[in-house]
Amino acid sequence: MIKRLLASCAFAALATGVSAEELVIWHDLGDNGIAWFDAVGQEFAKTHPDVTITSVSYPTDQWYGRVISAINTDTAPDLIYNNYERVIRIETQTENLADMAGPLDAVDDTGFLTEADLNVASYGGKMIILPIQRVQMGFGARSSWLEAVGEEFPATWEDAKRVAGKFMTEDPDGNGEDDTFGFALEAANPRDLIHMLDLFIFGAGLRHTLIDPEGNIVIDAPEHAEVLKEFLKTFTEYGYVAPDTINHSFAEMYQVIEGGRAGMFRVGDWNVKKWDSEALEGDFIVGEWPAHFDDKENAVVIGGMRGVAVPENSPHKDLAIEFAQFLLSQPAQQLALENVGAAVRDDLAVDDLSERRQYFAKAQGNLNAYDFPESLHAFYPELEATYHRKLLDAIANPPEDWDAFISQTAEEMREEAAKLSQG
Amino acid sequence: MSSMTPPVSANRVWVFYAFALPFAALTIIFGLWPIVLSFSVSLTKSATALRAEPIYVGLENYLSVLSDPIFRASLISTLIYTLASVVANVLFALGYAMLLHSTLIGPGRTIFKVAMFLPVVTPDLAGYAVWRWLYDQSFGAVNAFLDLVGLPAFGGIASPDTAMIAILIAELWHHTGFFVLIFLANLAICDRSLEEAAEIDGANRWQRKLYVVLPQMRPSLVINTVYAVIQFLKTFTVVVIITKGGPNGATNFVSYYAYRLFDQGRYGEAMAMASILFVIVAAVALVAYRIGDRRPS
Repeated sequence: MIKRLLASCAFAALATGVSAEELVIWHDLGDNGIAWFDAVGQEFAKTHPDVTITSVSYPTDQWYGRVISAINTDTAPDLIYNNYERVIRIETQTENLADMAGPLDAVDDTGFLTEADLNVASYGGKMIILPIQRVQMGFGARSSWLEAVGEEFPATWEDAKRVAGKFMTEDPDGNGEDDTFGFALEAANPRDLIHMLDLFIFGAGLRHTLIDPEGNIVIDAPEHAEVLKEFLKTFTEYGYVAPDTINHSFAEMYQVIEGGRAGMFRVGDWNVKKWDSEALEGDFIVGEWPAHFDDKENAVVIGGMRGVAVPENSPHKDLAIEFAQFLLSQPAQQLALENVGAAVRDDLAVDDLSERRQYFAKAQGNLNAYDFPESLHAFYPELEATYHRKLLDAIANPPEDWDAFISQTAEEMREEAAKLSQG
Repeated sequence: MSSMTPPVSANRVWVFYAFALPFAALTIIFGLWPIVLSFSVSLTKSATALRAEPIYVGLENYLSVLSDPIFRASLISTLIYTLASVVANVLFALGYAMLLHSTLIGPGRTIFKVAMFLPVVTPDLAGYAVWRWLYDQSFGAVNAFLDLVGLPAFGGIASPDTAMIAILIAELWHHTGFFVLIFLANLAICDRSLEEAAEIDGANRWQRKLYVVLPQMRPSLVINTVYAVIQFLKTFTVVVIITKGGPNGATNFVSYYAYRLFDQGRYGEAMAMASILFVIVAAVALVAYRIGDRRPS
């Protein structure tokens, strides 16, 4: 009897050891992301009882290095999750991500994915991510500050400038100190400044930041030049941002926002859950970016796509692909919306979400999508890096004539684009 | 009896090697091997650098790095910063050590010594984070003080024109105590009778310091200069914490730039930069040592 019992236990332990599998996913979504993957893991376990999902969140900068070195040393996680442009960088440095086109074809229900979604997911002739969450970025303003200075949510850029001036001079937080700024922006690292400019440009209803699909440089086109000039003046002549903004990246920008030092800022769909409950405690309004032109609709910016990728050397590649496909299912998407604030499906329940989260979930604002030039022009990252240095230089040493600066920069970008496109 | 050194027995030689072997092995494993390995990585294609069978691309990464205008600007900034920092740190430390050693400072000497050495033992992160706040343009103490005494604001780390000076000051605060300690040790073994003789001969205080004490400080000057050259050519932590290479690349020194590339998975180029920096550090340190160690004629 005892022998039989021991044998049963040994067999059970052996069986568990053989069949139990752990899928590890690396992302940069912080606590909300961990909660999401925990919940999705439990949902996945309903059909895969022996599979556990472990998610690990790294700060974005560390995520790059860890993913690249892990993939290159055959110690890759099963899945990686991030914005499409970050996954592109992983692919360029490792050339070792699986093509997800086949797995996507195998998903029954993908009608909610648009052509733009699929374009973003593709790079170098293969689909490097399964698109899981559209990234929306709106314009936010602290509601108590607006009330304190007697203003409404700014609809136009002129409104925004007026409000910024009041935020800086009328002590909107009532602490008796001259310590508040109009906007929280960032400029330190490559992409920081361009990312902010993207928001101004696409938020104003324009379609390209630097280059159009035909390869034409657009920065000195009248409307683009106008937005660019106002954007650069915000850092310099107008001085609506903290003077240290030239050294601010995401972390410092969030400190300025959450520390109550600036009244207007970018609101990503992923920020709202946290800012509803802590940090800003719901003291903000979210809407479209301020309008620059009467004949162009201002918008909330669709800034990209977050998605899941599977390294070729994933320890459990087939199972990892199965889980990636599961992330497009209705239950997983519902959990994505609830935990991280975004999804791609259009059949999700949104009524229980807060008003600000519904704004994104229901896509209540006018939407204008980023044009993804990196998927059209292979040289775009290098061109953008050069452009970033020019703009940063202008912020550090403001030119006397902004129009001349923009014209000259446009010419330099044309020469650079021609040089880069010839390889 | 012969005046020659008595022959060492073969046994004693083997004992010597037996004792030296563990340390030689440690030096090879933890000192030389990483250098060889990083040089090896600098010759590989980045995407394959960490794989079991990397693809070697010869000097391609070196050519890429040397033709990169950002790297060239970074190298120039690094050299300028190193020169300024070495001069500032060594001169300030020397002056401070002489002051501490003189009779000008009375019983408070210990307090000054502790005050100077405390920053050395303060964790880099804590010290430089405080400096970052001190330089803040909105609420930093530096500009608050300048405003109080009616002086114009200091651009600090927010301006490309002043960022290098700002981090030089922060590093001066952090490192000077160590240099002072070395100088004080040297001052303690200086021959005071020479100074007294010079005084009897009519030399004033400055002449005694310049012509009698300073020549005796040569060993510590050499050590501090060489150490400072090595230290500041590799400046990294202060940049990571205070400026992240900015503003507008003003403090994008080679170590930090290599780290940025490394973080992007561009291992080949990052290691090529590190190797170039290693050669420069070794060469400059050797030259500084040779110049400093040259016997006065």
